Amino acid sequence: MISLESSIIRLKDVFKKYSPDNIIFSGIDLEIEKGEFVFLTGPSGVGKSTMLRILFCAERPTSGEIWVDGVILSSLSNAQVPYLRRKIGVIFQDFKLLSNRTIFDNVALSLEVIGLGKKQAEQRVMQVLEGVGLTGKMSHYPLRLSGGEQQRVAIARAVVNRPSIILADEPTGNLDLQRTEEVMMLMEELNARGATIIFATHDERLFENTHRRVLRLLDGKIRI
Amino acid sequence: MTLAILCRRAFSDLRQNFCAQVITTMVVSLSILIFAFFTLLYFNLQHFVDRFGTELGLTIFLTEDTPKDRIPSLYQKLTGLSEVEKVTYISSEEAFGRLEHFLKDEKDVLEGVDPQFLPPSFEIQINRAVFQLKRIKQLAGEIDKWPEVSKVQFGQEWIDRLYVFSGLVRTIVVITGILLLFTAAFVVTNTIKLTVYARQEELKIMRLVGATNMFIQGPFLVEAFLQGLLGSSLALGIVFASYRYLQGFEAKSELLRGVSICFIPWHYTAAIIASSVLLCVIGTALAMRRFLRL
Repeated sequence: MISLESSIIRLKDVFKKYSPDNIIFSGIDLEIEKGEFVFLTGPSGVGKSTMLRILFCAERPTSGEIWVDGVILSSLSNAQVPYLRRKIGVIFQDFKLLSNRTIFDNVALSLEVIGLGKKQAEQRVMQVLEGVGLTGKMSHYPLRLSGGEQQRVAIARAVVNRPSIILADEPTGNLDLQRTEEVMMLMEELNARGATIIFATHDERLFENTHRRVLRLLDGKIRI
Repeated sequence: MTLAILCRRAFSDLRQNFCAQVITTMVVSLSILIFAFFTLLYFNLQHFVDRFGTELGLTIFLTEDTPKDRIPSLYQKLTGLSEVEKVTYISSEEAFGRLEHFLKDEKDVLEGVDPQFLPPSFEIQINRAVFQLKRIKQLAGEIDKWPEVSKVQFGQEWIDRLYVFSGLVRTIVVITGILLLFTAAFVVTNTIKLTVYARQEELKIMRLVGATNMFIQGPFLVEAFLQGLLGSSLALGIVFASYRYLQGFEAKSELLRGVSICFIPWHYTAAIIASSVLLCVIGTALAMRRFLRL
């Protein structure tokens, strides 16, 4: 384990290939500062999701070193991976909510996993649901909510255990313009509270007037 | 994760996936039911063969010149054998009396015949606890060598047939039992696999939010334990109810009286329940393995 002062995520010479003719990353070097909000963009299939999956250890790189919140990922055993994931909130385009659990239970799942007491968890879930404007719908099931509302539940679940990093994989891909703006505002709010955010999207409109750093993935390399 | 949290999560899962749990338990129950009925049949066949064998007994005919004072020592020698349950001495006069009784109205044919012409004999009843077809044959051979014995008669042909029959039954039962066990294991593990696959999205989400393997697997294993326990208990309960019904039937029916139906011995019953639980738990652990990687 190493501790890096300002970088929360660091990639050094990272390669990823599924087969000799299917190379996704060819020597990526990248540093993301604590509290930074970066957009990760590029055409569909370029490897945006793969990059995020590697960061939360759903996949391993073929070679290279990655540091996430002071932890070298290659040194992590499979049994240690869950503990790293508790520091990372992940949001997907397709929400990934449990349809047989209520909104409250879906959000509480992240806290149940870390073994937080029932009362404390209840308080925390209520607070987060209030933050995303869904207090009135906490006993509903996901399929009874609109797409925008479901995405807000997914965001609530990702942030309820106060992760230092949020990885968002096309979180607005299934939403209309108004819901997209709501989600973007929530992300800005989370970033303002100190979370480091990597926001993967192919929709250039989301960052065309931004002052944020935009990382463009192309031909296995990152271009800034 | 404490045991209380584990059980709370398992029961909450049971409630949420009630239909799938009931279906899995029913599949376990039906698979075990078929196997348990077969086991019941096996033990009853075995029981029947054993009973039939003990009822055959041995008749030992003595030579004509055996002195009468040797009879008590021969009696002692026979009762001292571990395989022997009961020994009855039949003198020549008693044998003659039996023949007369057997002939009834035709007993006139024995007029003028010396009552001593029939040899004295011992009738032996075999000890049920040590009964073995092979041992009876061996015992008959050993007694036949005694100098006072002219002939040992027993259902040689019957015992041979019974021996072949019971061996055949045992082989068929063991092969069929193994096949049934494999079928039950296959059906149960695949049903479990399907229910785990149906919940794979849930498993993936749990992994995503940082759940450890134990946190994910724990409730599934508790559920599997309950499925195995309930499924096999239900199956054995049905088999027991059928056994009691047949017992009642046996008491009423003239034809079946004396057949004496037996239930699966308790240690086999416990083994069936334990195997069922183990099968469900191992089946679940194996089915979940692929979802517990990265």
